[in-house]
Amino acid sequence: MLKKRLIGTVTVKNGWAVQSFGYSRYLPLGRPEVIVQNLDRWGADEILIQCIDRSNQGLGPDFNVLKNISRLGISTPLIYAGGVRGTEDARMVINKGADRVMIDFALRNNPESIKAIALDLGAQALIANLLVRSHKDVLLTLDYVSGIETPVTEAIAVIPISWVSEILITDWSNEGHFEAFNINIQKLSEIIKKPLICFGGISTAKQIKGLLDIPPVVGVGVGNFLNYKEHALQSFKEILVGSELRPPYYEGQKA
Amino acid sequence: MKKKNISIIDYGVGNHASVEQMMKSLGHRCSVSKVHQELSSSDVIILPGVGAFPAAMAKLQDDGTVNFLRDLADKGKIIIGLCLGMQLLADKSLEYGDTPGLGLIPGVVRPLKHVGWHIGWNTLEINHQNISLKLNADAVVYFNHSYYFDTSDVYSSVKVTVNDKSFTAGVRKGNVCGLQFHPEKSQIAGKLFFTQLLDGLGDA
Repeated sequence: MLKKRLIGTVTVKNGWAVQSFGYSRYLPLGRPEVIVQNLDRWGADEILIQCIDRSNQGLGPDFNVLKNISRLGISTPLIYAGGVRGTEDARMVINKGADRVMIDFALRNNPESIKAIALDLGAQALIANLLVRSHKDVLLTLDYVSGIETPVTEAIAVIPISWVSEILITDWSNEGHFEAFNINIQKLSEIIKKPLICFGGISTAKQIKGLLDIPPVVGVGVGNFLNYKEHALQSFKEILVGSELRPPYYEGQKA
Repeated sequence: MKKKNISIIDYGVGNHASVEQMMKSLGHRCSVSKVHQELSSSDVIILPGVGAFPAAMAKLQDDGTVNFLRDLADKGKIIIGLCLGMQLLADKSLEYGDTPGLGLIPGVVRPLKHVGWHIGWNTLEINHQNISLKLNADAVVYFNHSYYFDTSDVYSSVKVTVNDKSFTAGVRKGNVCGLQFHPEKSQIAGKLFFTQLLDGLGDA
C-alpha cells in the first residue's frame, strides 16, 4: 500500500538552519546538514529543505547547502526549495542531490517555466508551494515578494498547477506556532484538485493524524517541533502506528 | 560479501551522490565516470536517471554510450538501471512520442494513466512466477515516477500496486536488471536490497 509521508522540514536562511515563526522571526539552529543528518537517522519519509532568502534576492538555488548535504550520503528522499528560476536551476538542483524540486516564486513570476521544468524532469519531481492563510472564512494565498494576498480561488486560475504533482499548503501566519495550523483542508481540496501536503504550525500527533485522514492529504511537514527533542519523529510515528504512515525506524534496526 | 568495483555512468542525468555513498557504505569501491574504458573495467555498472526518457536517450547517444552498453550486456557485464535508468533498458518508451530504448530487456515504457504518478513509499510484491531478484517480502521502498515498464512475467520479478493496479517494479534478464524504485533513497530497506541484489546478480 502506498504510504502517506511525515516530512521533516528544514528552513534555511543565509545558509543556516533556523527556527522560523511566521516567517517573520528567526532563531538560529545550526548547520542545515546536521539537522538533515538527524532526520535521515530518525527515518523521516522525506526531507524538505526550504531556503527562504534566495528568490527575493535573485540569488538562485543554494548549491552550497545541497553540496554539503550531498556529501552526507543520506538515504532519505530530499525535496529542495529556494531560488529555482527555471529548467536549468531545477536540473542542477537534481544533479546536486535533490530528488524533487519545490517552486513558489516562479509559479507567479515565471509560470511558463513550470511546464518546461515538468517536461524536463517529469511532473512527479515538481511540487508547488502555496502560502495560505484563513481570513474571515476566506482562504487567501500570499505572493511573499510583492506582499499581495489574493483569494485561492483566483490565484489557482492563473498558477499552472496542472504541471506539478503535489501542492504544499503552508499556513504561513501560523508557521512555527504550537498546534496552530488553521486551514480548512476539506474546503481547500474542493478548490485545488491535487494531492496536498500540509505544513505550518503542526506540532502534535493528533494534528498529523487528523490531516492525514483527509483523502487528498498525502503528507504532513513538521519543522520546529522536530527540533525540541531527540527522536521526535519516531515519537510521532510511535503514536501513529496503524495509520497510513510507515512505522517508526530506529538506527540499527533490521529492515 | 565480496567487495565489488562499481561504476555509475555519468551522462548528466540524475543524482549520483546518493548511489555512490550507499555503495561505499556497503563496503564496495564505487566511482562515477563517463569514460568507457573505466566503466568497462568495473564489475557492475549502474545506470541512474531522472527526467524524461527521450532526453536521456539522446544524451546516451551523444556519448556513444548506447552501443557501448549493448556490447557490455552481450559480454555478460552486470548492469543495473535505476528509476529512469531502468526504463532506458526497455525496447521503447511512449513518453513524449515513441523513442527507442537500449533494448536490453523486452518491454515498453507506458504512462501510469490511472494515477498520473506514483510518489512515496510502497510495498514491494514478489512475483512468484519469477524470483530472479531476491528481496525481503514486504520491503517498503521509495518510488517517484510517472511511467512504468510494461513487460512479461518472464522479466518482471518485482511488482507494486497503486489503486488496485499492479505493475512492474523490478526487471531482470540475465546479467541486466532494473529497479523502478530508489534503493539509494529507501533507508535500511534499500541497503538490504542492494546487498542481496549485488550478491544475487553475481550468479548471473
